[in-house]
Amino acid sequence: MVDTLGARAAHDSHPADPIAAMVNADGLLTAEAERAANISDDVLRDLYRRMAICRRLDQEGLNLQRQGELGLWGPIAGHEAAQVGAAMAMAETDWIFPYYRDFAMTICRGVDPGIAMTWFRGLTHGAWNPYEHRLGPLIISVGTQVPHAVGFAIGCKLDHEPTAVLVGFGEGSTSTGDWHEAMNFAGVFKAPVVFLCENNQWAISVPMREQVAGRVADRAAGYGFPGLRIDGSDVLTVYTVVRAAADRARHGEGPYLVEALTYRFQAHTTSDDPTRYRTDADVEPWRAKDSIARATARLRDRGAFSDDFERAVAAEAEETALAMRATLLSAATPHPGQAFDLVFANPPASLLREQAEFVAELEPGSAE
Amino acid sequence: MGQFRLPDLGEGLEEAQLVEWLVKTGDSVNLNQPLCQVETAKALVDIPSPFAGTITALHAAPGDTVPVGALLVTIEEPASAASHAPAAPASAATNDGGHGPVLVGYGTEGPAQTFVRRRRAGATPAASVVASAPAPSAPATTSTLAATPAADSVNASPLVRKVAAERGIDLSAIRGTGPGGRIRMEDLDAAPAVGASGGRPATSTPIATADDEERISTVGLRKAIAARMLRAATTIPHFTEYAQFDVSALTALRERLRAQPDYADVKLTFLPFFARALVEAIRAYPVLNSRWDDEGNAIVVKKSISVGIATDTPRGLLVPVVHNAHTLDLHALATEANRLIGLARDGKLDAKSLSGSTITITNVGAAGPVDTGAPLINPPEACVVGFGAIKTRPWVVGDHIVPRPVAWISISCDHRIVDGATAAQFMGALVNRLESPDTLLS
Repeated sequence: MVDTLGARAAHDSHPADPIAAMVNADGLLTAEAERAANISDDVLRDLYRRMAICRRLDQEGLNLQRQGELGLWGPIAGHEAAQVGAAMAMAETDWIFPYYRDFAMTICRGVDPGIAMTWFRGLTHGAWNPYEHRLGPLIISVGTQVPHAVGFAIGCKLDHEPTAVLVGFGEGSTSTGDWHEAMNFAGVFKAPVVFLCENNQWAISVPMREQVAGRVADRAAGYGFPGLRIDGSDVLTVYTVVRAAADRARHGEGPYLVEALTYRFQAHTTSDDPTRYRTDADVEPWRAKDSIARATARLRDRGAFSDDFERAVAAEAEETALAMRATLLSAATPHPGQAFDLVFANPPASLLREQAEFVAELEPGSAE
Repeated sequence: MGQFRLPDLGEGLEEAQLVEWLVKTGDSVNLNQPLCQVETAKALVDIPSPFAGTITALHAAPGDTVPVGALLVTIEEPASAASHAPAAPASAATNDGGHGPVLVGYGTEGPAQTFVRRRRAGATPAASVVASAPAPSAPATTSTLAATPAADSVNASPLVRKVAAERGIDLSAIRGTGPGGRIRMEDLDAAPAVGASGGRPATSTPIATADDEERISTVGLRKAIAARMLRAATTIPHFTEYAQFDVSALTALRERLRAQPDYADVKLTFLPFFARALVEAIRAYPVLNSRWDDEGNAIVVKKSISVGIATDTPRGLLVPVVHNAHTLDLHALATEANRLIGLARDGKLDAKSLSGSTITITNVGAAGPVDTGAPLINPPEACVVGFGAIKTRPWVVGDHIVPRPVAWISISCDHRIVDGATAAQFMGALVNRLESPDTLLS
């Protein structure tokens, strides 16, 4: 694994950033920072457990799509450490604005997996009440959740709430205008935001080198706040760095960009065939950095991992996957007319007319 | 009885081709156990079983094109399944004992939908398996959505398309008088409108299939070949030159090498010799190893030589690529070509092995007693070289007519890039190498 991270340059851009000092040239938490962070075995075991469950749910998502039960599935394999580590690093009172691949974040926020999955079945635009879980909806239009998150964070700041906001996105999003506008707003208004770039190196079929000249982390410098590239496959590093960035944000020190470098093991979505643009040989070095194997190794080093624990987690993962399937398949199909209900607080008369026409058209006997 | 219909595997697909069954009738299967492999226009995918039980019927055969929503497999569930299987939502229950909804995409309407929108004129529900039961009415190609791709191959501006749609004119039936056959507004005035006031273009009306016809739906590889060949034939101005050469020296050399211990590990065909000769001829005439760059209006000559090998496979024509052929000796060329051809026939090539060729070889004599042919260029290359079957023919040596093994070579070139004289000189270099093949060993 030569130069898969290239993290060193980050130290140059913000030499005084204490968070950057937590990681070494490979983007990994230093032994010193690990001691200082003092993450307990129980927390690390819980991170492992959540990653293992989410990987099993990911597999079930793929199965369900191939069985015609989902319209689409965006595999998360390879992203477990970034998503679980970041989501669990946030305080319960913090907010998260996920992008479409952040399924593991929704699970970490306590959303029932079967309910979360209804989004991919096309039953809902949201699936959960954002205020109940302090979690925005999954956003499929690239990058639009980033200004949402920044706006929300500025609101929290104006209300003098000690709240940090985490926003997830891929490196492809960092080419969008929305992303740059949000980054600029966040920098200018010192919004309490942690930007989490899950850089899996492929924007569908576009490789990172054709998407970003330089590094995502360095883009933060242009907006006046620090950015740091870290090893996104190591859950302890992600957890510790994001926790520090969120603390910093809550203390009024402004936004922080974390670039979690990882890899997407599977297709972009079930509508994609990755063999058309990359080979197994490209994926292999990243499989060697697999997040679950590395969390296992860290736990073993601490003497905090046993075969019984591993088996129990696997059994829980299987059970959760089957329960998710059952909940998803028994979820009621909402009336299509509901699509009109959730746009305006006070719908204009013209829209209500359209809704009435649409509903009438669906009535039995109205078909030509 | 669980019935599993082919789902829409990727946002609006209408069909898939069954590649192989991974189970057979009588097998018991677990939930999520792979049942079969299908190829869609987007990808080759495994389909996991949606329920546990015993396979009682497979409703399609390998090679069949199965429309989305058509019955794929019937699985009898064990009596205890009710306790495991999730309750199907009442609103989505089907009337054929099926297992709840299968998302069938935008182009077809499955039996499981509760809310049915008004059908558009011409739309029909998914038909049964095309190959085993030719549909009496047209299959899923009749919806207005499905008509769009046909219009896309038409060369016309958006304005012309809009006006044509308003007048009910089928653009695919018009010969354009503009540059490159582009359909101009004037061409519309001469065209007859199809259907009355603003009716749909002719492409959206069902096409009746006669009793003595079979309609073979094209997905996957066949469709890709069709698009590629159309591009070759319509965008590259081809010319073809032919020559014969005496294969005696080459045949003798091949026999000699076959007997050598260092060639014992490889099946030595004529192909690696052809590839070696091609590389040497390109060294003398590099312009043949190039492509026409439309945007830059330039000829882009490639310094590395990667040779595509047109290969007949059970799925159709594939062109695996021997990358950097100029760096390989005869033995390495033979090994690599054999490996690639084997993978191609097994359908196991990855994307990299199927792309990046700079020139292509086709063995026109491989499948039958064919002497020669005018091959189509593999876009965006500048040249394709065809080798015919080697046959013993009368050959003039000195003042005598003697029987000799002889073969034809044909080369088709992009006339934008090379002229006939250059191609002829290139042919001369190729023939010289093949008739004095010892030079290929260095």
